[in-house]
Amino acid sequence: MNTAFRLRQVWTIARLQLRRVFFSKRSFWVYLLAFFPSVIFIGHGIEVKIRRERWGSQATSPAAMESIHEGDSEEDVLKRAGQPIDDSSENRRRRKKAARRERSDEDNEPVRRHMMYFDGSRRWNLDFEAGILHNKRGYPIIDFEEDRQVFAAVFQYFYLRLAIFFGCLGIFMNLFRGEMLDKTLHFWFLAPARGEVLLAGKYQAGLIAAVVIFTAGAALCFGAMLWPQDPAQLDAFWRTQGPSHLFWYGASAALGCVGYGSVFLAAGLLLRNPIVPAITILLWESVNGILPAALQKLSVLYYVQSLCPVPAPTDRDAPLLIRLLLAPAEPPSATLAVFGLCGVTALVLWAASRAVRRLEINYGID
Amino acid sequence: MTAPEVVFDDVSKFYGEVLGVNRVTLRIPSGITSLVGPNGSGKTTLMNLMAGLIFPDGGSITMRGLSPRDSERLMQITGYATQYDAAPRGATGFDFVSTGLLLAGYSKSEAAERAAKALERVRMTEAAYRKVAAYSKGMRQRVRLAQAIAHDPDLLILDEPLNGLDPLVRAETIALFREFAAQGRHVILSSHVLQEVDIISDQVILIANGMIIAEGEIRSVREEMHEHPSQYLIRCRDASRIASLLFEQDHITQIKIQDDRLGLLVMTRSRREFSRALTRISLAGLTVESVVAADEDMDALYEYLIGGER
Repeated sequence: MNTAFRLRQVWTIARLQLRRVFFSKRSFWVYLLAFFPSVIFIGHGIEVKIRRERWGSQATSPAAMESIHEGDSEEDVLKRAGQPIDDSSENRRRRKKAARRERSDEDNEPVRRHMMYFDGSRRWNLDFEAGILHNKRGYPIIDFEEDRQVFAAVFQYFYLRLAIFFGCLGIFMNLFRGEMLDKTLHFWFLAPARGEVLLAGKYQAGLIAAVVIFTAGAALCFGAMLWPQDPAQLDAFWRTQGPSHLFWYGASAALGCVGYGSVFLAAGLLLRNPIVPAITILLWESVNGILPAALQKLSVLYYVQSLCPVPAPTDRDAPLLIRLLLAPAEPPSATLAVFGLCGVTALVLWAASRAVRRLEINYGID
Repeated sequence: MTAPEVVFDDVSKFYGEVLGVNRVTLRIPSGITSLVGPNGSGKTTLMNLMAGLIFPDGGSITMRGLSPRDSERLMQITGYATQYDAAPRGATGFDFVSTGLLLAGYSKSEAAERAAKALERVRMTEAAYRKVAAYSKGMRQRVRLAQAIAHDPDLLILDEPLNGLDPLVRAETIALFREFAAQGRHVILSSHVLQEVDIISDQVILIANGMIIAEGEIRSVREEMHEHPSQYLIRCRDASRIASLLFEQDHITQIKIQDDRLGLLVMTRSRREFSRALTRISLAGLTVESVVAADEDMDALYEYLIGGER
């Protein structure tokens, strides 16, 4: 039995398992977890695109908007910037008229007017009081830097910590546990293959599925975040950091699957109830940032978080406990992170291979 | 060189506090061996131990020289048709059979050829590409059998292999077992149908409450049971006369004359003495047309050794 033969056995097992992993009913929520953030970013992109299209036909030149200053009269502003895309003064006047009938003292209140302009990239809010501009604020309808920060936060706080975590739980725990529940696991144990080969085949199938689903989810989410951005900014981004960011986000997602996959595969072999390992590992991963340095290294999150190209923003107003839980550990270098994670994975898989050799097929007492 | 055997040496298996099998010592030669015992007696436990699906808590097992822990080598020579009905989700009958062959190292074309041949032997060619989940009970039984024989194993372990089979397939399956046994291979099966066990088995193992009650050829097991008199059915012309002559013998415990007065059911404590007495009767000029052992079958063994529920 040479290595080539064993590798062929691994692939035979993986190939048959892939269908089960990709298309089982239990995988539905894995897809949901993987693609849910993309839906949010696509929604955001659609909103930006719609605004841009709707307001684009009435856009004012940026130079005209720059020439408007606080203290200018309504007439001056309308003369320089033209008709606004939104003018709420009419509504206010109508409301005022109605109110006047009831309370005559309000006649003395100065008339307020709010106008909104769009200069092709920014939305301008102009507030007038008694016909004079007293407040001018500009907001970009889309902020690339802000969106990248939001993506980093979504990727690290939701995708790595929850989506990949629970996705791998669903995929890898089921590889052995699911077949034990379906009473089909004996099929593999009656084949002339070593337990380690079966483990490797199942791990390979789970890994292929998890990596495809979650890197595709991450890439789609990343694409959805970039989609509505300004083309010039996008072009500059792709010529500088873009490819590397995409690679490292994809690599983080894939390595997250490698790490969590091994952990949950082993957990599925060693424990009957998936809830216990899920809660234990989730807690362990959550407090990783505040653990002693040596223990931090026994965490998947420790390695994959450090590979993310943009650090996730932290909210200073969040409660201390939340900030502690979200605080990243001291990041290792990318090389150390990759090798460290592979080391932890190998260790876990070795333990799993010991367990699979001792595994008994006994559906009756399961 | 000694013939390969299946050897259990003081094997015990417990499921937590529940006894599976207790201190089982067996030597099973090649040929057809039937495991017989009531539900929950430990038959499936013995078979799962043989196939390495479970491991003993004590003692050791050798399957034709291999340990069940060496699943890679053991499964190259073993086919096990379990009682478990399920197949991997979405698998067709053909997938079910060919996967094991691919894992055994056969090339794709060779595996396909062998799978087709095995499915043909159990008359499943037409349904080969339907999903196992859609099969009837009998078809699942047949496809499991096909999977067990596809790689031409030296050791066939079959848990209730004749359940759910129609008479024609049943007869063909029994012929298949005989063919395997005739080639010096092991066919170890469990069955509830004692008449079939009688017909097909070279040896039997009676098991109850996780313990081996008896093992060996049916006849030799019966011979060992001295506490139960042997029963013979004699067909003759003068039943009353023969009965009176036999009653003179000490070893005869009971005689029943049949209603047609042409037959006797005789119970004796000594087969040898009974045989001598019959010879003397024949020499005395009385015609004995036939003598048949009435309790040298599985039904009788089961009744004597285990009794009650089957």
